[in-house]
Amino acid sequence: MQKAIRIGLLVAVVGLFFGIIIFNALNPAPPDMTSWNDKMTIGNAETAKHHFAMYTDIFCPYCDKFSDAVSAHYDSWKKEYIDNHNVLFEIRVTDMNYENGHSDNSRPAGEAAYCAAKQGDFWSYYYALIAKLYADYHSKGIGVDRYAEKIPNLDNGYFYDIADGLESIDRDKLVSCMENHETAKELDANTKKALSKTNGGVPYFVFDKFKTSGFAGNWNTDNDYKEVKRMMDAGLSTK
Amino acid sequence: MAIRKIVETIADRSKFALVSAGYLLKRPKYLCAFIVSFIVVLYIFTFFRDGDSNWQLIWSGLGIGDKLDVMGRIFPAMLENFTSLYGLTIVFLSLFQAIVIMQLIFAWRNREKNHALDGASTGGVGAILGFIALGCPSCGVGLLTPLLSAIAGASAVALAETISLIFMILAFGLLLFTIVRLGYINYIIISSKNYKEEHAKSH
Repeated sequence: MQKAIRIGLLVAVVGLFFGIIIFNALNPAPPDMTSWNDKMTIGNAETAKHHFAMYTDIFCPYCDKFSDAVSAHYDSWKKEYIDNHNVLFEIRVTDMNYENGHSDNSRPAGEAAYCAAKQGDFWSYYYALIAKLYADYHSKGIGVDRYAEKIPNLDNGYFYDIADGLESIDRDKLVSCMENHETAKELDANTKKALSKTNGGVPYFVFDKFKTSGFAGNWNTDNDYKEVKRMMDAGLSTK
Repeated sequence: MAIRKIVETIADRSKFALVSAGYLLKRPKYLCAFIVSFIVVLYIFTFFRDGDSNWQLIWSGLGIGDKLDVMGRIFPAMLENFTSLYGLTIVFLSLFQAIVIMQLIFAWRNREKNHALDGASTGGVGAILGFIALGCPSCGVGLLTPLLSAIAGASAVALAETISLIFMILAFGLLLFTIVRLGYINYIIISSKNYKEEHAKSH
């Protein structure tokens, strides 16, 4: 009897394991290579030879590691991939971590990102927000993985303050945009779309034919940039 | 009363298991098996700890040099496990698995194949559950996330965290159970061997 239970348990767990592997392999996210928001792209959409999209949530630590490394090496990254390899790089902002109960901050952060895009300078705002999150929380080990202390719920002021350091973003317009939830519909629609494209998790990268989830960085921007380059190179070389 | 007896039995067997593990670790052959198993298991767990990006890079169009680099950089990442709670969970999971493997080898070599097979199946289930529980399911990085998301949408991803935690606890529970069970059997084998040796000496 005991032996039968043990064999049953073994078969169930091994079956579940291989079931997950086979399911994940047989259900690749369908490609969607039209830009979702032109303001959230870098590169020339008309002439680009490659389209690399990153599905993200601003309160996803793995996503932030990737963007933090790109931001720290922006000039060389842009020259090598956007200019020399003619890549169109796009960030698809979602609030998946709000939807799945991981972080309430994802929603205002997502709305703020789309509000900044509305004012025409998503990238400055996005990188400034990532840098502030790093300085305030990630650098202290807060919100970096599943067992780490969680980032507390932030009020909208946290997201408004980013605009103060940026000439291209008008704080009053940002406040009005967020208070009136002017971008909430776009965020919701894109999160819904992302859920069907990413199998439910971020970061999810679709770099031409190279698709992957997760990011193996360690918050050391030089080390993480090597990883970013490796993933960009994988996107360029995978046929 | 019955509960007290069960607790006492578990405590006794755990003590014997510790003694047998200590005995095996003093033997170079088994120490070597323990160290190799620990490194291999820790390597595999670290490879998949932050999603499947390492795996996908190995299967991408990158050159062989880059792929070797991907595999090589897991070694420093293994050391980084010691700096966070999540990393330490992976270290302990690997440590327990390595003890199980060492105990299994000893039991197998001492003709306790049935017990060794039982231990292998229970320990194997523990290891697989631990593997499935890796990542950060609620942040969207984990083996379980795509399956749950396909079944019940975004709200199910919140469930992934709980399921993953249950799997992790089960994994540790099964590995500990196997260590105590096999350790106790090995203790009996070791005691019997020592008795025979002493008996042979005295005659």
